Amino acid sequence: MLKRLAGWGLSTPATLLVVIFLVLPVAATIIATFLEPKGLFAPYQAFFASGFRRSVLWRTLEISLVTTFVSVLIGFLTAYVVSRTPGRLKSLLIIAAVFPLLTGVVVRSFAWLIILGKNGILNNFLISIGVTDEPFSMLYTQWSVIIAMVYLFVPLMILTLVGVLENIPDDLIQASASLGATPAATFRQVIFPLAVPGIIVGAVLVFTGSFTSYATPQLLGGESQMVMGTLMYQRAMVAFDWVGASTIAAIMVVVTVVVVLLMTRVARRLNPMAT
Amino acid sequence: MTHPLTVEHLTAHYGTTKVLDDLSLNVGAGELVSLLGASGCGKTTTLRLVAGFLEPTAGAIRLGDTDLTKLPAYKRGIGLVFQNYALFPHLSVLDNVAFGLKQRGIAAADRTKRAGAMLERVGLSQLGDRLPGALSGGQKQRVALARALVVEPPLLMFDEPLSNLDAKLRVDMRVEIRKLQQANNTTALYVTHDQEEAFSISDRVAIMHQGRIMQLDTPEVLYQRPANAFVARFVGFENLIPMKVTAREGENVKAQAPGGVELSLPVSRFENIPDDFVLATRADGLSVTADPNAQGIPTTLGLRTYLGRAYQYQCDSAAGPLLANGPLSSPLEPGSTAKLVPVLDQCSILKPE
Amino acid sequence: MTTRLNPSLIVLTVLVYIFLMGPLIIVLGASVSDTSYLTFPPQGFTLHWFERIFEMGAFRRTIITSLQIAFLATGLALLIGIPAAYALNRYRIQLPSWLSTLFVLPILVPEVVLGFSLLRSVAVEYQTPIFATLLVGHTLIVLPYCVRVISASLASFDFSIEEAAISLGSRPLKTFFTIVLPNVRSGVIAAFILAFITSINDVSVSLFLTGPGVSTLPIQILAHVEQFFDPVIASVSVLLMLLTVAVMAVVERTLGLTFLAK
Repeated sequence: MLKRLAGWGLSTPATLLVVIFLVLPVAATIIATFLEPKGLFAPYQAFFASGFRRSVLWRTLEISLVTTFVSVLIGFLTAYVVSRTPGRLKSLLIIAAVFPLLTGVVVRSFAWLIILGKNGILNNFLISIGVTDEPFSMLYTQWSVIIAMVYLFVPLMILTLVGVLENIPDDLIQASASLGATPAATFRQVIFPLAVPGIIVGAVLVFTGSFTSYATPQLLGGESQMVMGTLMYQRAMVAFDWVGASTIAAIMVVVTVVVVLLMTRVARRLNPMAT
Repeated sequence: MTHPLTVEHLTAHYGTTKVLDDLSLNVGAGELVSLLGASGCGKTTTLRLVAGFLEPTAGAIRLGDTDLTKLPAYKRGIGLVFQNYALFPHLSVLDNVAFGLKQRGIAAADRTKRAGAMLERVGLSQLGDRLPGALSGGQKQRVALARALVVEPPLLMFDEPLSNLDAKLRVDMRVEIRKLQQANNTTALYVTHDQEEAFSISDRVAIMHQGRIMQLDTPEVLYQRPANAFVARFVGFENLIPMKVTAREGENVKAQAPGGVELSLPVSRFENIPDDFVLATRADGLSVTADPNAQGIPTTLGLRTYLGRAYQYQCDSAAGPLLANGPLSSPLEPGSTAKLVPVLDQCSILKPE
Repeated sequence: MTTRLNPSLIVLTVLVYIFLMGPLIIVLGASVSDTSYLTFPPQGFTLHWFERIFEMGAFRRTIITSLQIAFLATGLALLIGIPAAYALNRYRIQLPSWLSTLFVLPILVPEVVLGFSLLRSVAVEYQTPIFATLLVGHTLIVLPYCVRVISASLASFDFSIEEAAISLGSRPLKTFFTIVLPNVRSGVIAAFILAFITSINDVSVSLFLTGPGVSTLPIQILAHVEQFFDPVIASVSVLLMLLTVAVMAVVERTLGLTFLAK
């Protein structure tokens, strides 16, 4: 009994902080969308009735899914190489992935602004080698947002998966070889399935991160590539349409939760060990 | 199909450190040979070289007529049982056992049948659907064994397979391993640091030290006639007494022990006695007697311990510290003087170190 | 284990690392270019744009605010996070399992949603000062790092050592500071660094909570980029990268860089 009291006592300040400033405000935001005088689901009907808003939701999903797929693919293959690299070089590769991760989103997105702009490096380069006379407009397209997001999330994926791959005991890979599995078969039948839980964790992080992002689509997508994050900001801070913003917030939470649950399910099917 | 394993002049390095030094070894078809030694003696390195997980600096490995030396591990077809079992945690017990069959392109129905039959042989047919995480240590070991055996490998290797099991299970499992190995008539290489385990299941045992084989013989010979001081100490010869031949008289060789006592050694029992040699015995091979006229090494008795079948004495003798046993009927007091009489049946003659 | 890697995988890895490092090197180059627009490779060399940062009041102010918020939020989160992490480990059986989930909630809830909700239900509703609301928001988003990282190092702490100290006559609170805390030192350092970096770089929560007169550096960068496209932004970015280097150096000195790999 005393122990229970001590445990609660010590965790009370943190609990209060999260409950008062996160649970209650977020709950209030979501509940508010159901208390509109126009009807229980009126804000949602309004959201889905608008072709523009539907297209924003669709675009956000598209960008997030492509970003997740590309990041997972690149991240997994790179992490596999890094995990098999000997000693010092491995630490170097890991540090080279940590550095961008610790550098902020704004800085990393801004870098692509310099590269992809009308007078950007890529256009100057393409003009100088004669591929084109007129600069391409690469900025403010779906692809500029996706490239920058992949750039954002690949380091995270590499670091998550290097840890996972390093935790696969060498014994298992040797056992597989001793049973006649070629390196490719070992990769498919042993290494990949054992990495699935890590891949799912990484994929969830990337998906939720890109689905709810603001800075990168704002810088590289602008008005023409509005996504849920930028639309929500625009509704709240420019149009002062708080119900609209709250509705977007609620949809974001729902999509995030659904995706997390879905991906955990997929993981369990691919590898019964995954939790 | 069973083949002999031949290892010739194998040398291996970790970086610049030599871990295996010109090692040669021959395992006959259907024979079980153990590599026995303390950690770092090179036994596991040898196994990993044969398996193809390490590359030798020099030397050759052959299985029957096939040269394995340059073959990648997955083409060697050697069955391997790991210390930590190395079961695939994401595959069911049945799929674990069927893994090797799958790599060999055997159809799903057939491999389920064969893996199932193998599981039955190791007594786990009920657990085919479980994941390895849900098994006990002994069960995991059986699955590992079944997985290695089901592909009928020409060579089976064990890397300390029982060291993670408790004592009782270890004894059961080693009997089982031996039974399966003999039933399949598979050539086998067995790595362990446990002397009892190695001696109990092997046809021959190689005692290794610093990357070399010190002696390769049947357990009986190793136990009774160690070939050198290292092996003698390894198999428990506590007493190594330096001796000098004084006379060779037909059937007997006379030799002097420290302290002046002269022993007569029958040539029929000991061959090729060099002029300087070491007489090696266990504590049982030195009998303690209070009789001052006995032909033995004079000693002062130290601490006495009770072994159940005898008393054991720490002796401070003319030949240095020795360990000797005396009868339960006449316990002697620590501090008194006595004689240590070698029991020739239990002695071994070694070259001086 | 000598598994040879597929050459095409190695080529891919090299390309990935060029992709990771290239843009940051470009920012570095652009920051010293002696031109009034952003360009790479740099034309000429100047540190003028770094001086410009501090001549511009908006940047000076937001740098100070960002540092204040990052230090205060990290400090607060550690202050309440360490006892929470301790309780979660020490009294695991007595506490409900959802409690540890509660403390990582700020990571699970989308940051823009958290920022907007704080604005809507706290800042506007109760007219709280901008700086205070911003601080609360940042404390929330860095709290999960503090609780989780310190929990992880407490998980490997043998609490019987603490009981041994108490049995030898040490008072519980003193025991915590002299026995428990020194043993999870590396966890506290790691938590501090992760929290600090997270706070300094945050956009999504700050976005809704900054207001007239009080803003953070990333928000100021976003605002500046909307209007100007000059090398000042590149040099501010380089400053932030230098901060990252400094942080990694601290990690290297105190915990060893291999720590980052975990």
